[in-house]
This record gives sequence, C-alpha cells and structure tokens, in this order.
Amino acid sequence: MKQYMEMSVAAPRAALLALLVILCLPAGVLAQTPEEISSGKFCANCHTSAHLIWAGKHGTKADSRAPVSVGCMMCHGDPAEHVKSPANPMPRRFSKMTSAEKNEVCLTCHQGRTRIHWQGSKHERNDVSCSSCHQLHAASDPVRDKLTQTDVCFACHKEIRPLINRPSRHPIREGMVSCSDCHNAHGSVGPSMVIRDNVNDTCYTCHMEKRGPFIRTHQPVQEDCSICHNPHGTTNPNLLKIRQPFLCQSCHEPTSHRGNIASLTGSSTGANTLARGCLNCHTSIHGTNNPTDLNNERTFRR
Amino acid sequence: MRTRAALRTTGIAVAVLAAFGSARAAQPEPLAGSELNTEASSVSLGVGLSSKDSRRFGEYNGITERGAYGLIDFNLVKRDDETGTWTQLFGRNVALDNPQLRFEQSRQGDWGYYIDFARIPRFEPYTVTTGVTGIGTPNLTVPAAPTVGGPFSIKTTRDRVDLGGEKFFLGNWDVQVNFRNEQKTGARVFGRGSTGTGPTGSFGLFEFTPEPIDSVTHQIDAKLNYTTSALQLSGGYYGSFYNNNQSNGLNIIGGNPGLASFTPIALPPDNQAHQLYLTGGYNFAQTTRGNFKLAYTKATQTDAFISPVNPPQAPGTGDNLMGRVDTTLAQAGVVSTPMPKLTLRADLRYENRDDKTPVRVFFTGTSPTSTSNGENEPRSIRTSTAKVEAAYALPDGYRLTGGIGWEQKWRNVSAVRIVSARDTTDEMSYRLELRRMMSETLTGAVMVVHSDRTGSPWLTTVLNDGVTPGSNLIAPISLADRTRDKVRFTANWNPTDPLTLTFFVEAAKDDYSQRDGSDLGPQKGSATNFSIDAGYVLTDRWQVTGWYTKYDTSAEQKTCVGASSSGVCPAAGASPIWSATIKNLSDNIGLGLRGKPVEKVQLGADLSYSSIRDQFQQSALVGNPIASLPDVTTKLTRLNVYGKYALEKNSGVRLDYIYDRYQTDDWTWSTWMYADGTTLSQNPNQKVNFFAASYYVKF
Repeated sequence: MKQYMEMSVAAPRAALLALLVILCLPAGVLAQTPEEISSGKFCANCHTSAHLIWAGKHGTKADSRAPVSVGCMMCHGDPAEHVKSPANPMPRRFSKMTSAEKNEVCLTCHQGRTRIHWQGSKHERNDVSCSSCHQLHAASDPVRDKLTQTDVCFACHKEIRPLINRPSRHPIREGMVSCSDCHNAHGSVGPSMVIRDNVNDTCYTCHMEKRGPFIRTHQPVQEDCSICHNPHGTTNPNLLKIRQPFLCQSCHEPTSHRGNIASLTGSSTGANTLARGCLNCHTSIHGTNNPTDLNNERTFRR
Repeated sequence: MRTRAALRTTGIAVAVLAAFGSARAAQPEPLAGSELNTEASSVSLGVGLSSKDSRRFGEYNGITERGAYGLIDFNLVKRDDETGTWTQLFGRNVALDNPQLRFEQSRQGDWGYYIDFARIPRFEPYTVTTGVTGIGTPNLTVPAAPTVGGPFSIKTTRDRVDLGGEKFFLGNWDVQVNFRNEQKTGARVFGRGSTGTGPTGSFGLFEFTPEPIDSVTHQIDAKLNYTTSALQLSGGYYGSFYNNNQSNGLNIIGGNPGLASFTPIALPPDNQAHQLYLTGGYNFAQTTRGNFKLAYTKATQTDAFISPVNPPQAPGTGDNLMGRVDTTLAQAGVVSTPMPKLTLRADLRYENRDDKTPVRVFFTGTSPTSTSNGENEPRSIRTSTAKVEAAYALPDGYRLTGGIGWEQKWRNVSAVRIVSARDTTDEMSYRLELRRMMSETLTGAVMVVHSDRTGSPWLTTVLNDGVTPGSNLIAPISLADRTRDKVRFTANWNPTDPLTLTFFVEAAKDDYSQRDGSDLGPQKGSATNFSIDAGYVLTDRWQVTGWYTKYDTSAEQKTCVGASSSGVCPAAGASPIWSATIKNLSDNIGLGLRGKPVEKVQLGADLSYSSIRDQFQQSALVGNPIASLPDVTTKLTRLNVYGKYALEKNSGVRLDYIYDRYQTDDWTWSTWMYADGTTLSQNPNQKVNFFAASYYVKF
C-alpha cells in the first residue's frame, strides 16, 4: 500500500503513454488484445515469472496509478521494437541501467513520505538502486519481511552479519527486530540513516526509560548511546562495546578505585570485572532521579 | 541471478524460518503461461520437539525447555480486484512465546488501517538461584546472610499493539496516523553494593536486587503528506510517553546492615516528549533536488521523587526535577548534476539539545574536596555538521568521488565534575573513492577516509572548593583528539556464469592524543574485516553458497592505580601505571545448500559457525607486574536442514531439524556470589536438537 501513494500525478501521464504505445504497436502485436498487452499476459509468454509482480500492489487494477493499469511498459518503456524481435531490447533495460537511471523510474511514483531524503543518502551515494534491495517480480519481497530482511542488508553490510548472533544481541534472527526498526534505508537526517533524528531518539523508541532527564545524568548516556553500546551485537553483557572496568576507564580519571586493575579475585572495588562490574555499585548507570547523596547516590548508586 | 539471490538467506534466518514454518515458505510457485496469480494465502500447522533445556536457544522465542511446541503460522491475503481492497490476516509463531499477529485492510490509493500485535519475550540466559523474594515487585526482601535459595526465571515481556491508518484525499494529500502501546513487564538483573567486607564466599557488600519492570509506553505519529512530482512535504506530530507503573522507588527490606541505607533505589521516572516537524523535498530542475527538515521537540520529566527521600533533600528543591529538554533540528541538503558526468552534494545539519532543567542544589554540606557541589547537571549538546561531495564519471564505468565533512559538538560543562571535559570538539573528515559502476563481470570500489578530531582547550577540573585542582589525566574517548584512517575495498565478481564472488575488506585505525602532561587514557583502536561470499549454481536444481568473515577489533588504553584526588599516580609497587589491550577476534562461516532433486521435493541446509575470542591483555608499565585476565572463547554453531514434500499442488509436509550449540568459558558470573547467597549460572555447553514437522496448504 505504501508504495503507491505518490502515483496520482504520474498515473494519468502513464495511461496516456500506454494508449499511444498500444496505438503504435505493429499488427502482429495487435493480434493480442490491448488488455492482454497492458495486463502483461502477452509479455508473460516469454517472461514467465516476471508478472508475479501483478500478485502484489503493482497489480491492483482498481488503483488507476498502479502499473497494471498501464502494463509492463510503465516501467520498461515502449515495447514496440522488442515485440517485433526479442533481439531488440526494451528501452529501459534495467540490467544495463545505472542505479540512478533505475531509481529515477521508481521515484517517478515513490518519491514522497519516508523517501523524501533518498537523494543524498548514503545508499544513493553508493549506487544502491531500489532493485538492489526490493524484489518486484516476485510474489513477496524478502526485504519487507522482518525474518528475511537481514539477508538483503547483509549482501552489502558484511561487517554487521556476524554480530547479530553474538551472545548479547537484539532478537533479530527471530524476526522480532529488524534493520528497518532502527534504520530508514531510504534516507533520514540522522547519522547512519537512523529512523529518528539522532541515535538516542531512535533507541528511545524502545528504551524510553533511559531518556530522563534525571537529577544525576551521565554525559555519554545523554549524548549518544553508541558511545558505550554496539546495538548490532557483542560478546559483552547489555551490548556493551567492551567489558567493565575497561569501558569506564576509557573516560574516568584513575582517582580512588577507578584505576583498579581488572581482576577476577579480590573484593569490594577489586571485584570490578565480575558480575555487573562497575555497576555492582553504580547500578543506575543511565541516570538516577534520587535527590539525595547519603551514599554517593550522585554516582548512580541509588 | 534470481536463483542465486534466493540463496542469500543466512543459515540462522533460514533455521528460524524453518523452525517456525513461516508463511514465506509457502509462496506460490512461478506462474506458467499467461496465468495470473493475485493471492498468496497459506496456513501451516505443525509441532516441534526440543531435545534439551537451553536458555540461550530460547532467549527470545521461549523454547527454553525440553518438550513439544506448537507451530502455527498463517497468512491470509485477499484482493478484491473490483475495488482494489486488500484484506490480510497474518500470524507467525502464534503458539510460541513470541507471537506476531496482524490484520490490515486497505483500498489501495484511498484508505487503509491495521492492527498489529507482537510479544517480545526475553528470558535471562543465566539461571538465577536466589533467596530474594518479591522479585518483579517494588518491594524486595533480601536475606541478611547467604541463603541457599531456589532457581528463579528472570524474564521480561513486551506486549506491543500498533494501530494505524491512512487516507488519501484531494489527489495529492494524505494523512497517516500510527499509534503504539507497549507494556513491558517482568524483572531484570540489578543490584546494590558498597565498599565493605561481605560474608565468606562473596566478593563484598553486593546484593541481588532485581529491578521490577512494569511500564507502558505510548507513541503516536500523526502526519500530513503532500506529494507532487516536484514537491513533497510531510509534517506532523510525534509524541512519546513513558509511564512507569511501579512506584518510583525500589524498596528493600532486610539485607546486610552495611547496605541498610541503600533503599529505596530510584526507578526510571515517567517522561514524555512532543515533537512537531516538517520535512520536504523539491526538484528545482531535472538535475537539482533539495531537501530539508525542521523539527522542534519538547521533552519533560516531572515525576515525583522517591518517597520517602532518605534523607530529605535540600529545602526548596521541590518534589520533582522539573526536567525539560528542548531540541531544535534544522537540516538542508542539495544534490545537483550540473553536467552529465558530475554530481555535487551538500548537506547542512544543526541540532541544539537545550537542557533547560533548572539547576538547584539538591544536597548541601558537600565536602570542599568533593567532586560534586550538590547541583544537578543538565546536559546540553549542540551539534553542527556540514558535508560536501563531488562525484565525477570517468571512462570505462569508473567514478571518482571526493568529499569533505565537518562536525562540531558543543557540550555544556558543570563547574564541578569528576571527568575531564572540554567545551567543543571539531572533526574534519576527508573521503576519496574510486568506484567501478558498470561491468558485466566486475564491479567494486576502493574508499579511503581520513579524519582528524580536535577541540577546544581542556578545562581544568577543580574540586568543590573551586580552587584545588582535581584529577586531570584522562581525555575521555568521546572527546579526545583523534586521528582516524579507514580503507575499504569491495568487489563483486562473476568469473563464470554460475559462480559469483563478493569480497569485502575494511581496515580502520584510531590514534588518540592525551591531555598535556599525561599519557594516560585511550591510546589506539583498530578494526579489520575480511569477508568473502561465494555462490555457485551447480545445476538448475542445486545451488550452494558459502561465506567467511574474519572480524577483529582492538582497543588500547592506559590508566593507573590509586591516583590522588589531585591526579597524581603513585606509579610504583602495587599501584602501577598499566595498560590494557582489549581484543575481540572472530572467525565466522556460513554454508548453504538448496536443491530440488525431484519435482515434489525441496531440500535445504544451512550451517553457521562463529568462534569468538575476547582477550584482555593487561601489563604494568611502571610498578609491579600485573596479571592479565583469562581469554573468553565463545563458539556458536547452528545447523538447519529442511525438506518439503508436495502432496498436492497447493499442499505438502515440511520436516525441519535444527542443531544449536552454544559453548563458552565466560567467567563473568562463574565464581560470583552475592552477599545474600544469590548466584547466576549457565550451562557452558548448551546443545539443542529441535525437530519439527508441519503441514502446509496454500490457496
């Protein structure tokens, strides 16, 4: 449904084109009915599986904007020469087109809504085309299914692929969380194309309890969750990039116990690597709304 | 190529798919002749058997125990061709602990609505053995001495309901409304602790006090869209609300007397944010497009403080924080192709997170040598970025791209603090890329990125007396001067028709500078990734895929033991200056096989394997030698084999087998005991055999 909302402008123009195309077709082609041509049945004689596309939203006849109302030529161009001889390629032969040329076809109808920022996005700059991710001539599109979406993304994002199975992870492989829950592959104004305007606001869509603001705020928590966490998966608890105390020591001064050597023995502040590490005491590390300081609560202890 | 693309499914995804018999497995067969297919409905019913208990295997699907599990999936789709009305009822994992259900109806291009339900469980992978009672409530009772308790299954559950709709009108306009209600319940691992000696067998005064979770979040996004071929606009309201159903404090009864004053513990407060936004794009010409976004967000937190406050906070500080953060965002970008071979891009972005929470002194009598003056610490952050890029098409399908980026972050700094700070950081980055875009057999790119982060002078940290210097030794990793270099090479190669190869190589290196007069803090970082993917079409009926990824990261840092409050390291004996190099080294493999030996039979198999080693290399630079921590090795194996046999054209049976193994020598909890006797443990070698049989029908 989403794919079609911007088609109202393009559709009448395309319908006119289709009419002209049909009127110009050679006699052999006109042995087929206009309905058979525009519906793709004629094309299906050779491209047997291509018109599975009509099983989806592109094939909804009652929607005047849908390609089925015009036929294959709406995206692929005037078929006149091609139907004379298969050796003559279609005007828009996607396998020979640049990504920009391919995308221009799709954006004719699909520019609005969440795709407003496609131009200039990292994907656009890196020659990703709509058909790099979307399977149009198929009964279903794997990238639109949470369970199979990662397979599409990992075709390029090899650096993420091994992370989603790490012991500390989001439920991605179960299909409960998908790449598009956090990223808008069509472009956004946030870093790494996150769905909201910045990293933290994206994380808050599921972890709103971390937003605060609190009386005691932890600066990196307020600035960017990814300073401490890798949301794609880690071997450390809670998606932490590295274990405690090392993570904490990458910012904190070595006064008091903060420079202690990581150890599996000892007690009190010596046990800074076991269990929850530094959080054994500094339990509310994302911030606390406790207004007192009886026990150094200001350091996220209560 | 289509057949190869279908093989990109990784082992894990296919394994899950196989286990839960998704509707995707029952897609319609390719059409023959001019037959048109407009429906893709399917129902799958089956049963699965798990051979053993495994909390890792069932962490997010609930298959944590040995036994039988129902497997029910369906996807009922109907399209009324007369009206263009779609009706869909979708269900996945309906009989498991992580069901997904969705009903939607739409008249394409006119209106639509949906309701969606999903349950996301998380079973704590560790088995908790505890004598603590009241878990999951805000009132815990903790044994005063180590107590042999019983096993307790810690888990959380998210129940999520989404409602939404859309309506198109006046040709170019449409309105969308999406609402989400999510209830999260359960408990998570949490604790309290302090310095002091704990009972024998424990590691000090640490007690297990699981955090109760019972909250509801609401999100509503209502937007009005305007779309023409030249201009697209989208404006609306986004509101998000967090409501903690628990009292705002976790009350703890009992426990070690040394921790008696550590109650109540403040729980996350209610908070909310309201955003108004307008975003749009405009095609100035066929070769030039601009886009923008403006947004204003007001976030507040006015939840009451814990009660009773122990001890009462300073007079005049009210009963809530009166927290308020206003965020203003402005972005504008332009992409232009002034000549066919040249593309120019520019983007400006400004985000001002203005923390307007009033500053008050919440506790008085703070020691002059303290690193706090009793005030709360609002955090304001202002981020400005600018990017320009030019891409030029060279002969033979090559394209050269050069870009420059700039980012400045300003952060407010409290007068008294415990961590080094500076007002601003500035980062310049330079990118150069050579890409081969069009080729029958080989496409690829080489990219080099260099960036330098600097900033304003480091501020001198002083103690609460306002005069005495505090410790000024560490440049925090997110603020430190940094030089970053990254190289990336990617290539897709089709040396022969049935063979496809993909290469990915990336190496990144960080070098950090330290504060003047100190060589402590972050030193270096690196990440390397080498990946190769291969796909081979053996015959029309058999295809294989494989991939290998070697992914290593490293971080090196220095600190010292026992620095004085003014930042002087003893640097001797048992208080050394020491360094740590933390490495994460992994080898990852995936193999896949798809086949259709005879017309009625489909077979598939997927194997994934990861071997991950965490190293913690500690060494003394000055002072007595120190020991490193043992490495942690984690091995993850999953094999999935499935077979489908078509009884009739639209129905059949499917058999699945999953082997899942989790091996680790992680010591995080292995020796740990809380002062109350609580322990967390896991089977270091978890193996599960999961068998499933299902019947499917398509219509």
